[in-house]
Parts: sequence; structure tokens; C-alpha cells
Amino acid sequence: MAKRSLACRTYTPTAVADTAAITADVNGGIIQGGAATQRNKISEIMLGGQAGASAPTIMVAGMNSTAATSIVLGIAEDAPLDSATAALAAPAAVGTGFTIAPQRSATLGHILQLSFNAFGGIVRWLAAPGEEIGMVGLAVDTGSFSLSAFTGGTPGLMSSHIIYESL
Amino acid sequence: MIDHRASPGLPDEAMNPNLPYRAGKGLLETSTYTCGHCPQIVMMNPLRTRERGYCRKCDHYICDRCSGILAATRECKPYKQVLDELQEAGLKLEKEIDRNG
Repeated sequence: MAKRSLACRTYTPTAVADTAAITADVNGGIIQGGAATQRNKISEIMLGGQAGASAPTIMVAGMNSTAATSIVLGIAEDAPLDSATAALAAPAAVGTGFTIAPQRSATLGHILQLSFNAFGGIVRWLAAPGEEIGMVGLAVDTGSFSLSAFTGGTPGLMSSHIIYESL
Repeated sequence: MIDHRASPGLPDEAMNPNLPYRAGKGLLETSTYTCGHCPQIVMMNPLRTRERGYCRKCDHYICDRCSGILAATRECKPYKQVLDELQEAGLKLEKEIDRNG
């Protein structure tokens, strides 16, 4: 029961269509439950543009229709917001790397449409209490979440973080 | 919040016509809500004049898609209930696996 931050300092996301394999280590992060009954909540997503020229970037956050396997941190860092946080027995699997790539769902993959210009643009979505994105387990559509770039535009250098909580 | 004050903003051709006017330019701060029947986040368009989808059974705003489904079926199934049912199913599955080895 502790909030954690999955942060990526700097990366240029690779744009992928829905139901296509998300590219490892050039995405904003994957979050999957640590067990079939684990609940997770996403309460904040922030994107910060770092590009040196105009770079319309179509970032999308939502559920995956194909789950990832063997998720590793990759370019991301995962840390609790409170330093007194105890480690969970089955922590959520988070990171930007994986063995089998997840695929963004065409129907539930666009929960948040976070288009912005990475040339100085900033996007922040903050859920009101009780309005967080709810996840359960680690299965597709309800337990596997991703932040990635959708096709179109010219994705630019950026940073991002996702605040999530395992219940 | 979408802040393009330090950026030229999105080019006109990349602008989503469904977003509020000038959403890709300058600073846009607006409230959102999460649909009560699905995980969709809805940006509350301040210029909207149509009635917003609302479920009286679960006392929650819902998105336009779920509003249409509700009008057609009259069935309220909050997303929290969907997650609860999945969690219960997961628990049952874990118990069955434990029992059967």
C-alpha cells in the first residue's frame, strides 16, 4: 500500500500502432500486476519535452491487449515516494524492457491521449481521489498497462514519470 | 495540464478536433473524470452543451460510449465491480491450483 514512481529520464519514444509490438527501452514504461489478484492504481502521469526542435509526439497511456513477459527496468527507475516503504512479496512488474513485447489495445489502449510538442511542451495528468486508473492482476486489458507513442508526428526527446500504487 | 508556453505547440494538422479550442497551444488546464463503467479518462470540455453521461445507479459520471450502452441496456456495471469480479476469479483460480497441486 505505497505509492511508487516509475520514471524515465530521457528517451525518444518509438511510435507504434495499436496491437503492434511496443519497442523495448523507447517507451514510457510498462506496469503489470505482480500476481493474478493484485490491484494497482495509476494516479499521475507527467511528460516533459526535451527536444531541441519541434517534435509533435503522440503519447498514449492505456491497457495492453498482449501482456509483456519478463519485464525489466531498462531505462526506467522505480522508487517509492516514501522512503519508509516496505517491500512487497510480489511487487508489480515495471520497466521499459521485456522479453515478449506488450501490444497496446485498440479499444482500451487509449485511456489517456497525451499529445504534446516535445519541444518545450509539458503534459501532466493527475487523478482526483477515487478517479485513478484501476488495474487488477497481470492479464491483458485489465492488468497490463503501458505508456508509449502512437504513430504520427515526429516523436522527440522527452522524460516521463508514472505514479502508481500497488494495493 | 498541457503546457506549451515554452513551445510553439502542436502544428494545426496534428490538433485533435475533439479537444477544446487551442488545446495544443499555450497553457490548457482542465479537469478530468474517470468513467464509472470503464477505465476511460474524460477531459471535461468547458464548451460542452450536451448533457454529460451520468449513471444514477452508481452515482457517477460516465463516458459517452458507456452512456449509450446504459441507454440501450439500462444495466449498471461499475468498473470497480468488474475489477472485483476479476480479483475474485483470480483468487478462486489460485485456490484451485493450490488444491490440485
